[in-house]
Formats: sequence, C-alpha cells, structure tokens
Amino acid sequence: MPDYIKKSLTIDCKAVTDYIIERLREYLEFSRKDGGIVGVSGGIDSAVTATLLAKATDNFFILLMPSSSTPKVDLEDSFTIVKMLKAENKYKLINIDEIVKLFGDNVETNDKLILGNIKARTRMILLYAYAQKLNYLVVGTGDKSELLLGYFTKYGDGGVDVLPIGDLYKTQVRMLGKCLGLPERIVTKPSSPALWEGQTAEGELGIDYETIDSILYLRFDEMRSENEISEMLGLPLDVIKRVDRLVKTSQHKRLPPEIFRLSGRAINSDWRFPRRWA
Amino acid sequence: MGLKVELAQIRSYLGDIQKNYEKHLEIIESSSADCVVFPELSLTGYILKDLTYEVYKDAEKATEKLAERVKKCAIFGTIKEIRRGILRNSAAVIINGKLNYVYKFYLPTYGLFEERRYFQRADPLSDLKIFEYNGFKFGVIICEDAWHPEPIEALSLMGADVIFIPSASPMRKLSDKLAIEDNWESLLKAHSLMNTVWTVFVNVVGSQEEEYFWGGSRVVSPLGEVKIKLRLFYEDRGVFEITENEIIRSRFFSSYRDHIREFHSILDKL
Repeated sequence: MPDYIKKSLTIDCKAVTDYIIERLREYLEFSRKDGGIVGVSGGIDSAVTATLLAKATDNFFILLMPSSSTPKVDLEDSFTIVKMLKAENKYKLINIDEIVKLFGDNVETNDKLILGNIKARTRMILLYAYAQKLNYLVVGTGDKSELLLGYFTKYGDGGVDVLPIGDLYKTQVRMLGKCLGLPERIVTKPSSPALWEGQTAEGELGIDYETIDSILYLRFDEMRSENEISEMLGLPLDVIKRVDRLVKTSQHKRLPPEIFRLSGRAINSDWRFPRRWA
Repeated sequence: MGLKVELAQIRSYLGDIQKNYEKHLEIIESSSADCVVFPELSLTGYILKDLTYEVYKDAEKATEKLAERVKKCAIFGTIKEIRRGILRNSAAVIINGKLNYVYKFYLPTYGLFEERRYFQRADPLSDLKIFEYNGFKFGVIICEDAWHPEPIEALSLMGADVIFIPSASPMRKLSDKLAIEDNWESLLKAHSLMNTVWTVFVNVVGSQEEEYFWGGSRVVSPLGEVKIKLRLFYEDRGVFEITENEIIRSRFFSSYRDHIREFHSILDKL
C-alpha cells in the first residue's frame, strides 16, 4: 500500500474507539433496546465489533454458529474472544449443519454458493431470534471493504440492525483490532466468509485487502479515474475495472428494495423520514 | 464592561420539540450570561427530512413560548413559516422577551445536506439584521453562511462587533485529526481577522441518523485567538465574556473598514 494511502487510512484508534462506543450507546438508547447481540466467527471484523459492543454495554450476547466448513482455528479464536470479553455466561454455541441440511434438502441442491448463502441466512435468523428473546439489537460486523464489494450475503450477514464498523476499510479494522489488544492471530488472519471450505475473500478476488482498500479508497473516497488509479498503484487497468464492477453490480445489496412508484408520495423517492421518527 | 455569552452545546433530539424545549429552558434559566447561544435548529434537530413538515408548527409555538421566558438575550435554532407553506431554517433572537428571526442564506445541498428541499433561503436585501444588547452590536448567521465571505462581511460593515454562528456541522474524516474542526477554526479566524469581529461558533453534538455532530464550539477574538473551546463529541456549556478592547485594537490596525465596491460589480456579473 503506497504511503500516501496508508497515511490517509491511518486512524486515531482511541478517538475511533470512543466514537463507536458512544454511538452504540446512543443507538441502543434511541432504539429502546436493552443491549446488543453479535455473531462471532473468529475473524477480525466480528472480533472487533464484539469488543466494541462489550465496551459500550454490559448487556451483550454472543452467538457462535460454526458449520462443517468452519475452520477449527476459527472456533478456537471465537472462544478466545469469548474469554477475552469475559462472556462465559453471555454466549451460546449452535452448530448450524442440521438446519442448513434441512434447507438444502428442501431446495434440492448441493450448490456450494446456494448452501453458503443459506448458512449466512440461517445465522441471521438465529441472531434475530435471540435478539428478540433478549430485547437486543443485532449488531452487524460488515466493514467498508466488504460492503462496497458486495462481499456479503443479502439478508444473511447483511441482515442486521446497525453496522458500527461499516465505514472502516478492512485494513483500518485490522489496525483497530491491534489497538484493542486482539490476539495477533486474529488480527493477521486472512479474511474469510468460510461459507465453503478454503474460501477466502482475497483468494476469490485474486488480490490482497491492502490493494483492494487502496483501489476502493482512491476510486470512491477520492473519486479518481480508473486510469489514474492504475498508474498510481502500478496495477493493470483490468484489476481496477474488476473492483469497480463488483461495487457497481452490488449496489442493490446496499439499498432497500426498489419500490415501483404508483402514488403521489412513494416511500423512499419522495417520502423520506429519519429512522428516529418518534 | 463586556458581554457575557454562554455557548450551549447541546444534543438535540430529532423532532422531539418538547424534550428540546425543556433543555433550552433549563439552560436559559440556569445561565448567568447575558446572552445564551444554542446550535442551528436546536429546538427541532437537524436531519429532519420530511419530519420538517410535521414539527414546524410545534416548533414555532415552542419558540414563542420560550421567548416569553427569556429575561435577557437568547439565540436558538428553529423553523419559521414565513408565509403559508414556506419554511425557513431560522435562528430565533430574543432580547428582553422580544422575539425576532434571522434566516439562513446559503442552504447546502451537497453531500449529506438537502436543505433546499425543505427551506427557502433568506434574501440579503431584507434579512440582514443587526441587534444590540448591553452596548454590543451583533449579527447572527447560520452555519453554511460562514463558508461564504459576504454574510459576515456585510453584518460587520453594518455595525456588528460580534457574530453568532449557530451551527450543525457533522463530523467527517475522523483520522489522525478531525479535518472539519481544522476547517472551521480556520474559517472563524479568517472571518474574525478580516472583519475585526468576535465570532462565536456553537455547534450541535451527538448523533442524528447516520451523522454525528462533533461539538467543539468556540469563541475567536477579533485578533484571531481562540478564547474558549468546548468539548468534542459531548454536551458542554461554557461562558465567556466578550470585551471591546480587542475590537478596538484590531480595528486600529486593519483595513477592514475599507471596502472597494467595484469588486462587487464584477462579482455581480460572474
């Protein structure tokens, strides 16, 4: 990652931590919920999110929802987080294989992508069920890199109430994780949705997250052209185009569903209210 | 003798006029200052979207009710319906119980802002106003108006010694330093130095929708010095006494009073 971008993406860990904690507290207060629930996978995003949530409130709950495609180290690292956050009485381990199998059988498919998305959506259902039981919010773990690339399952890990680290790129989340004192193994682990065995984000995209973040930052924060970015980063133009295309084709995942207008005041297009209405 | 100003850096609750009203009243009644200044749209919250249309009537009523309770001087943000269905982003200026309004000129519509969707902008020909309290003349402009030279320059040349700037500035780019805070401080210093006035910036704090207002309200002297600065990210109050000495000193050594009108005949054609 060039120095120029490194400098731009460097965060003041303490300020960012304080900020996110404060906002989580306010969000809980405004939404009249008693606390927050988060799914911990053993990866950096959920480790950071869970840590911030635990700093914001004592009322937090963690779900560990491994499947057969979850690497053993991830489950170990998840338990490390549970211990680190002193959450021995605030977590639940649910193996989702049986549920996923039932869905798969009923859909009559072995397609790894379909089953992978079912896994993500099963986790969403479990999180919401527990959240409702506890009167908690579902706290999402998506970061800016994944959200921009569309590297999440719609209504799966994308189905959450709030995204506290959604405006931090993956490399910034790693930086934050380091400052928060997370174990080195979690901070440096290659990012993976683990929806099937051996799946890693960087493997699928063919470039590492430092490069991805550099491209995303220059393209969407600084609004530079593809050609300019290719020159700045010394990367082939088609790599920049590929990232650009991923962002554009996944826009539907970041927005609420399109509503076909018929009335004089259609929701979203001309009927716009804040979330905190009451 | 100076003008004691209280900066009331509050967190406004979006659309909750009653709750905001109570907070205003509590601060006004407990303040020892001559003039209490609140942020932009402090009575209603800033990111109202279409809620604007549901709360403006209550906001106006609350504004009038609050005005009756002001014994000295207070400035706060509210919405004013200037004629049926035409709303303006306003600052209520109350002196000894008398209520007046100041309206925003420059309504931002870039980035996250969408003010012109809801509000009509002020007209410089009728809406530049100078007030006086305790021997100090002052003008009030709202947030974005400080990102342009003319509103403060005009008020200063019309006689203001102090410019109050109720604002709703959301945080952007929290990296190694807060860029928007630097930007604002530069603007305030420049306005103060160029126009030999005290500038008093009072910002909202706390979250409204996705945005987070950073606070950091401050007073800058006509000599360009930051005299008081409130906390970043948290509600805060601070009193500062504005004095005439700095105004006089800065004017002795400034070309501020010299305004060359021909620049404006060029600007007029651009």
